[in-house]
Amino acid sequence: MATTVDPHGLDNTYDDASKRTPLVLGGLDYQGVTETACGFWEAEKAPKIWWILLLMAMSLLGILGGLINHLLMSGVGVWGNNNPAYWGWPIVNFVFWVGIGHAGTLISAILFLFRQNWRTSINRAAEAMTIFAVVCAGMFPGIHIGRVWVFYWLFPIPTEHLAMWPNFRSPLLWDVFAVSTYATVSLLFWYMGMVPDIATFRDRTKSRIGKFIYGLLSLGWTGSARNWHRYEIAYTLLAALATPLVLSVHTIVSFDFAVSQLPGWHTTIFPPYFVAGAIFSGFAMVVTLLVPARALFGLEKLITLRHLENMNKIIMATGLMVGTAYGIEFFIAWYSGVQVESYAFWNRAFGNYSWAYWIMISCNVVIPQLFWIKWCRTTTWFMVIVCIFVNIGMWFERFVITITSLCRDFLPSSWAYFTPTWVDIGMLVCSFGLFSTLFLLFCRFLPVIAMAEVKGIMPRDGHH
Amino acid sequence: MAEKTNNDADSKLIGLLGQFDDPESLVAACNEAREAGYKKMDAYSPFPVHGIDPAIGIKRTILPLIVLGAALSAVFVGLGLQLYTNSSAFDALTPFPGYPFKISGKPIFSIPANIPVTFEIIVLTSAITTFLGMWILNRLPMFANPLHRISRFKRVTNDKFFLCLEAKDEKFNRSASEDQLNKWGAVAVEEVRQDLTDTDLPKWIPTAAILGAILLLLPPAAIFSQWGQTNRHPRLHVVPDMDWQHKFKTQTMSPNVANGRDEVDLLYADLRSARRPVDGAIAFGSLDIDSELNYGVKQDFAHTISFRSNVRASLSDDSKKDEAKGTEAGDEAPAAEATENMEQWVTTFPQGVEVTEDLLTRGQQRFNIYCAACHGYSGQGNGLVNQKAMALAANGDATWTSARSLHDADVKGDAKNPVGRIYDTITNGRGNMGPYKAQIPVEDRWAIVAYVRALQETGLKSPGADDAAAEETKDEKSEEVSEDENSEEEKSEEDSAEEETKEEDKAADDASEEDKTEQEKKDDA
Repeated sequence: MATTVDPHGLDNTYDDASKRTPLVLGGLDYQGVTETACGFWEAEKAPKIWWILLLMAMSLLGILGGLINHLLMSGVGVWGNNNPAYWGWPIVNFVFWVGIGHAGTLISAILFLFRQNWRTSINRAAEAMTIFAVVCAGMFPGIHIGRVWVFYWLFPIPTEHLAMWPNFRSPLLWDVFAVSTYATVSLLFWYMGMVPDIATFRDRTKSRIGKFIYGLLSLGWTGSARNWHRYEIAYTLLAALATPLVLSVHTIVSFDFAVSQLPGWHTTIFPPYFVAGAIFSGFAMVVTLLVPARALFGLEKLITLRHLENMNKIIMATGLMVGTAYGIEFFIAWYSGVQVESYAFWNRAFGNYSWAYWIMISCNVVIPQLFWIKWCRTTTWFMVIVCIFVNIGMWFERFVITITSLCRDFLPSSWAYFTPTWVDIGMLVCSFGLFSTLFLLFCRFLPVIAMAEVKGIMPRDGHH
Repeated sequence: MAEKTNNDADSKLIGLLGQFDDPESLVAACNEAREAGYKKMDAYSPFPVHGIDPAIGIKRTILPLIVLGAALSAVFVGLGLQLYTNSSAFDALTPFPGYPFKISGKPIFSIPANIPVTFEIIVLTSAITTFLGMWILNRLPMFANPLHRISRFKRVTNDKFFLCLEAKDEKFNRSASEDQLNKWGAVAVEEVRQDLTDTDLPKWIPTAAILGAILLLLPPAAIFSQWGQTNRHPRLHVVPDMDWQHKFKTQTMSPNVANGRDEVDLLYADLRSARRPVDGAIAFGSLDIDSELNYGVKQDFAHTISFRSNVRASLSDDSKKDEAKGTEAGDEAPAAEATENMEQWVTTFPQGVEVTEDLLTRGQQRFNIYCAACHGYSGQGNGLVNQKAMALAANGDATWTSARSLHDADVKGDAKNPVGRIYDTITNGRGNMGPYKAQIPVEDRWAIVAYVRALQETGLKSPGADDAAAEETKDEKSEEVSEDENSEEEKSEEDSAEEETKEEDKAADDASEEDKTEQEKKDDA
């Protein structure tokens, strides 16, 4: 059993080739892992800070509900969307959130297939974050369709009233399928991974309601070897299915733009560039959430500095990919010799949206370079600041792509300058309320750490 | 909590549970048990212990094959869904017809464009199959597992490892098996017993289920009770959906703006809710200054037409009154002719109207739509409406002026009825015939004129017309040929048009109609 731990003993970011770096610190054994992971959930009273955060998040959520109601009652005119920028902030926000929703499945699926054991401590929280981000993402196109009450026209359901089917050759419909498939598969993956840990909750909870709910959710899991056998194969299958899926989702989101003919959108670099950007922003969001969460819930021994450092390295790598893509876009715009294409990119960097463009460049390309310095990527408060900048930059990336191209379409007479309304701004800010509410409730009532997986990667010797 | 009963009647021995403290000793014990000949046993652990599958003889699951099967069928479902919904090929087979999107001439079904959705359907189907298949193969959810009643077993989801030798196994022996478990290193051994006293479903569950089912049935029952009923109230409008808008509809009265007061205060004094165009305003695309094309009136007489008026263009107010009287008397021709200036009508087709086979075909088609109902397909004034109305009029059930036969001598030939006049007849109506300018565009009116002239050239006679009249028509025709170059062309065009019609083999085409009329005439004679 772990006793008092020297805070300096929590630094496992050194590299020693002679032995494996421990991923669980503080000499925790199986029991210790369970108790550390369940600590926050088992606490009789949640700390005040959790209540304050939840209150703030739920206030924003309430405002979001009011704003959506206002939108539905008044129509999409309450947004700044207007000729020629019919895709305004709702689509920017959608791409922003769905991009964030890529890290979880990437961590749980791709890192799983690559046998990256360090994923186990962070995958549960990252998957939860994925699902909550996809909820926020799905909301925006959902309310953007104008007549929300006939949203089911998006799906191939025969309706006598409409007497039409969706157009299966339209990227927007591919998007419906991609995002809803992604949401469903992520949810299944998340829930399936959680069942053994919910069984732990079932066996530890003292409240009657808890016994009932966790008993129901854990489906009577016993940890039988036969069950584990099928469970592991199913997990690998889901990981193998989710890997191409996660790459397809942002690819298809990029098709929304790339398949159209608009200068600045009609480029083949979009799919890889969007996927890299999605991983970039997703990991930044995971770091932003986990640094305060590990401090608040006492998870430093499980979510170690090494985990955070690894994520920061991925952020830096994907940041460089995104930066390369920005450069290639300019090169192609010049190399194509197409006047409108060149103009579109010149206009991004030096036109009337140049302020947004340079925010994007500095946040996405310049600031992550700090992670070359070891101090920057191993100092928790500093990495959070960098990651927040990354997400600001990634929001502006989607803003630049969507708005600058739309505001400079083929007809100069219709060129315009997009201005958001207070509803636009309110909905972006309040979508964080929805996201945070879900995440805070998750932290309190569901297993934040994949205990069964962490135990599985603990070294066999020296655990007691 | 473990059931502390030792009464064998109340419970049944399921197996023996041995506890181990680490995965290595569990695997070792499993190997021992397999070597001792145990087959029905299972190991329980907080995480998957590697090497345990061969130790207790677990065969590889068939789950991947099931998922492969689901994925392969999803390929066909995905492609089939798109093929069916985006084409009309399967309309005969399905209750809901497909909807082919014709966009920029792109193919209705193209594999590259249909791959993304197919891919997503494959992944979705496979993932759901994996998820459900895994639980079903694992026989979960199963909440009533006797293992859950053993308090020691609660640590299986935390840090302890268990081996359960099942009582069903041939090798199982209560005391011998316990000794073996102890020998293999079990820290503790405990019986797993199934409680037989508490197997009934709690009483509240069926009650709650029935109550819930009834409550769930209420809304659909309420909806179905209205099925086929008539209701004088407007239907429930859950979502207004732009159905009521703040606007004045056309053809409605000026709204009363005297809100909440009794007196009527119209928004517009003329009682209309819409405003009329300013005098002299010409709607876009309707500037008809070419009098020959638009009115069939020679340029020299263009000043006599009151442009943009709804009244007949060719007649003065007085003559119109005269003609109206004549019409009422059922004898319009003399009155109209008395004041009509025959000089004004164009005798040749105006510039821009070229009499070709296409024009005649078009004219025939339009004639059959708009004119044949009264004038008949052959223009002999015996259309279905006319026949029916005449029959009613004969019984005194209706008043009806017979439709004109286009083969009457006084409506044939350039002298009596030049093309301009026929055009004017179609445009503004004549006698009891109403104007057709609203229904038929200018080009089509001229096409009909051409076709009418062609019909007149066929030499058909009006029903009941005498030979002399027919003779006269013939003379006129020959005159016409010499006078007008167009006529020759018309004649040949007309022949070919007729041939074409015959080929079409329509029941109602003019050829058969002609035959029929001829037949009827013979019968009459």
